[in-house]
Amino acid sequence: MRWKDARSFILSRPGVLVGLTLLGLQLAAIMFAPFIAPFSPIDANPIDALQPPNAVHWLGTDELGMDIFSRIVFATRVNLLIGFTAVFGSIAIGVPIGVLIGYYRGWASTLAMRFFDFIQSFPVFVLGMAMVAVMGQEIWSVAIVLALLFVPMFARLVRAEVLSLRERPFIAAARCSGAGDGAIMFRHILPNAMTPVIVQVSISIGMAILLTAGLSFIGAGVRMPAPEWGLMVSSGAQQMILGIWWIALFPGIAIVLSVLSFALLADGARAFFDPRTRHGASGHA
Amino acid sequence: MGRPAMHRPRPGDTSERPLLDLDRVSVGFADGTTALRSVSCALRANEILGVVGETGAGKSLLARTIVDLLPEGGRIIGGDVRFDGRSIPAMHRKEKARLRGGAIALVGTNAKALLDPVTPVGKQIARVARAHQQIGQRAAYRAAVALLAEVGLTNPAARARAYPHELSGGMAQRVVIAMALIANPKILLADDATLGLDATVQAQVLDMLVRRSRERGLGVMLITHDLGIVRHYCDRVVVMRDGELIEQGEVATLLDRPVKEYSRTMIAAARARPALQAAAEPTAAAALVAVRDLTMHFTSAETAEPIRAVDGISFSIHRGQTLALVGESGSGKTTAGQCIVRLQTATNGRIFFGGDDVTYVPERAFRSMRRRIQMVFQEPYVALNPRWRVADLLAEPFRLLEPMTACERTARVARLLEAVHIDPAFAGRYPHELTAGEQKRIGIARALATDPEFIVFDEPTTALDIRVRAQIIDLIRDLQARRSLTALFITHDLNSVRSLAHEVAVMHLGKIIEHGPTHAIFEAPQHAYTRKLLAAELAIDGRLGH
Repeated sequence: MRWKDARSFILSRPGVLVGLTLLGLQLAAIMFAPFIAPFSPIDANPIDALQPPNAVHWLGTDELGMDIFSRIVFATRVNLLIGFTAVFGSIAIGVPIGVLIGYYRGWASTLAMRFFDFIQSFPVFVLGMAMVAVMGQEIWSVAIVLALLFVPMFARLVRAEVLSLRERPFIAAARCSGAGDGAIMFRHILPNAMTPVIVQVSISIGMAILLTAGLSFIGAGVRMPAPEWGLMVSSGAQQMILGIWWIALFPGIAIVLSVLSFALLADGARAFFDPRTRHGASGHA
Repeated sequence: MGRPAMHRPRPGDTSERPLLDLDRVSVGFADGTTALRSVSCALRANEILGVVGETGAGKSLLARTIVDLLPEGGRIIGGDVRFDGRSIPAMHRKEKARLRGGAIALVGTNAKALLDPVTPVGKQIARVARAHQQIGQRAAYRAAVALLAEVGLTNPAARARAYPHELSGGMAQRVVIAMALIANPKILLADDATLGLDATVQAQVLDMLVRRSRERGLGVMLITHDLGIVRHYCDRVVVMRDGELIEQGEVATLLDRPVKEYSRTMIAAARARPALQAAAEPTAAAALVAVRDLTMHFTSAETAEPIRAVDGISFSIHRGQTLALVGESGSGKTTAGQCIVRLQTATNGRIFFGGDDVTYVPERAFRSMRRRIQMVFQEPYVALNPRWRVADLLAEPFRLLEPMTACERTARVARLLEAVHIDPAFAGRYPHELTAGEQKRIGIARALATDPEFIVFDEPTTALDIRVRAQIIDLIRDLQARRSLTALFITHDLNSVRSLAHEVAVMHLGKIIEHGPTHAIFEAPQHAYTRKLLAAELAIDGRLGH
C-alpha cells in the first residue's frame, strides 16, 4: 500500500523523477566507477596535458594530463561520502539537541545556544585548518569539520520549530492523555518539526560540497591528486583566463546537478511526508 | 428586548432590475469537480438576503464567485453573474478590481486576520478610499475616522491610530465593516462576518451592520449558518447544500413553512430545544470534584497589577452531574478548566478530586491521575497531532497504561469509534481528512479512551454546523446517560447548556456571579449580566413580534 502510494506520488511529480534519476546516476558512479571511467583518476600523464574534449578524453584533460571524465566519476564517491557523513551526522546530533533545548528552556539551553553562537561565529576556514592540523588531511577530518559546523544549524532550526509547537493545543491534549515529556518531545513534536530539516538537507549537502572545495583550495581539505569536484574546479579556475574552460566547467556542472538532485528530492520528500499535501495531491490527480 | 425592528416593511417593487443577478452560475475546479451547480438568485437594492447552509455547501464560494476571486483552479463554467445588468466575468481585469471594494464590498470572517498587522487601522481604511475615489490623503483619513465613529467605535480618532492587535475581535470586525463601507458600495457581501464573536458582541455588530446598510440602501448578502441571524436580520433567504440552491423565499415563509426536506431537517435541528436537564437530586456523598477559591493570576511585563484571569471561584460537582461554566471570551472560564486538568498551575486555591487535594501534586505524580480526568479541547483540528492517524490518536491515552497486543488495541480503538458513532474504518485516516464534526468526535473519543471519571468539555459545540451541533449534543447526552458521566462544560452556547447541564455557573471577569440549577438560571436569572447573555441569543422563532 505504502509502496503503491510512493509510486503514484513519484509519477505525479516530474521533479521527483528527475531528482531520482540524477541520484541513480550518482549511485551508479559510486558503485561502478572503475568500470565506467576509461582512465585512472589519479595517474598523471604529462604528455596528454590540457587536451580539449575529444574522442579519447571525452571531457578533456587537466594540466597534469588526468582524464577529467574519470576524475568526475570517481569524485562522486568522495563528495557524496563527505556530504552525507557531514549532514546526516550533524542531523543525528543536532536534531535531538534542538528538541531538548527548545522543550526545556532553562539555563542549560541558554548555555547550549551561546556555545552554538561561538561555533558559528568562528571563521569556517580557521576552524577547518585547526581541525585538519590536529586530525590530518583526510576525507574523514573534512567530514567531521563540516558536521561540527552543521550541528548548530540543525539544532537552531529544530529549536525554533519546537518553541512554537510546544504551545500548540495538541501538545496540551497529549499531556492530558498522560504522555510524559519524552513521548511529547519525540513522538509528538519531533515528527512535526522535521519539515524544515528535510528541506535543509539538500541545501546542506550543496553547502558541504562547496565547503569541501573551499577547504581543498586553501590546502586544508582533500589534497591533489585525490579526485574531488571542488578541488577540480579550483584548479581549473586558474586555467580559465587562458581559454582552457573544460577543466573547471565539467566538475562545476557535476556539482550543480548533484545539488539539484538533492534539492528536488528534498522538495518531494517534504511533500510526501506531510500527510496534508500528499493526500491533497493524490486526491486531485 | 430593546432591539429595533430590523425588517423594512416589504421588499419593494419586484419588477425593478436586481442589483445583482446570478443566472444559473456553475463553478468548477481544474480537477473536474463541480463546486456550484446552476445557482440562480437575485439581490435587490435595500434588501438583506441570507445565505444559509452547512460547511461545504458553497456559501463562501458563492461570494467569491460574485467578486470573481475564486480559489486557484476554480472558474465559472456556466451561467453569468450580472451587476447592474453587466456581466462581471466578462469585465476587464482592471474593471473587476475597481468593482471589488468599490461597488461590491466583502466582509470576511476573522477580522483580525484580514487586517494588515503593521499598519494603523485608520490608514488601512483610508487606503481603500483612495483606491476607489479621487480623494486626498487627509480627506480620506478624516472620512475613515468619521466612519469609525459611525460603526460604533468610541473615541474613533484614537482607534484609527491603533494597530490590529490592539483591538478586540468585535472592534476589529467593526473596522473591517468600516473598510467595506468607505467606498460607498452598492452591495455588501458579509461572509460569516460575526463568526467567533461572543453572542452579545455579535448582536451589537450585526445590529450596526444592518442599520448602516438600511440607511445607505445597500443590497446585503448575509452568509451564515445561524438561522437565528437570518430570522432577525434578513428579508429573504437562500438555502444551499453541496453547491446547489435548495430553496429560496421570504424569511418568514421559508423558516415557518419550508418546502424541501433538507430545509425542514435543518430548521428542525436549529429549533430543537431539548428538555432541560433535571435538577440534581441532593446527595449526601462528597462531591467528586470540588474547587475552592481557585485563583489564577498572570503577571504581565506591561502592568504592575497582575491580570486576574480567575479570581477566587468555588464550585463542586457530584458524581453523574454536569456543571456548565458559562461566560464570554475573556471571562476566565477556559483558564479555570485548564487549572483543573493541570495544564496550568493555579496561583491560589484548592482543587479536590475524589476527596484528595490535587492542586499542587507534582506533574509526575499527577500523571497517574490523568486517566481519571480528561479534557475535550475547544478547536478539534488543532488539538489533534496532524501527523498521527486516528488509531494512534485514540490509542495514545491507554497505550502506556496497560500492555496489550496490537490486536486488542485495534479492537479497543474500534469500540471507541463506535461509541462516538464513527465508522471504525476511519482508524487509518489523518485528522485533516475528517470533517469538523468528526474531528470533534475523535476529540471526545480520545477523552473517553481511559474510561475517566470526570471530563472537562471546552466549548464542545462552537463553530459547528447546526445539524452537527445537534448530533454532538445528542452524543454527549447519550454518554451522560450510559456512562453516568461527571462533567464540567465550558461554553458560551446557551442552547447546549440548556440540554446538557444540571447546574449552571455564570462567569464574568474571573468571578462566578450567578450559580444555580439550570432551570432556575434560564427561567429566572437574577443577575443583570446573566439576563444580558440570555437576551443576546438569537432564537430562530421570532421573539420580536414582527
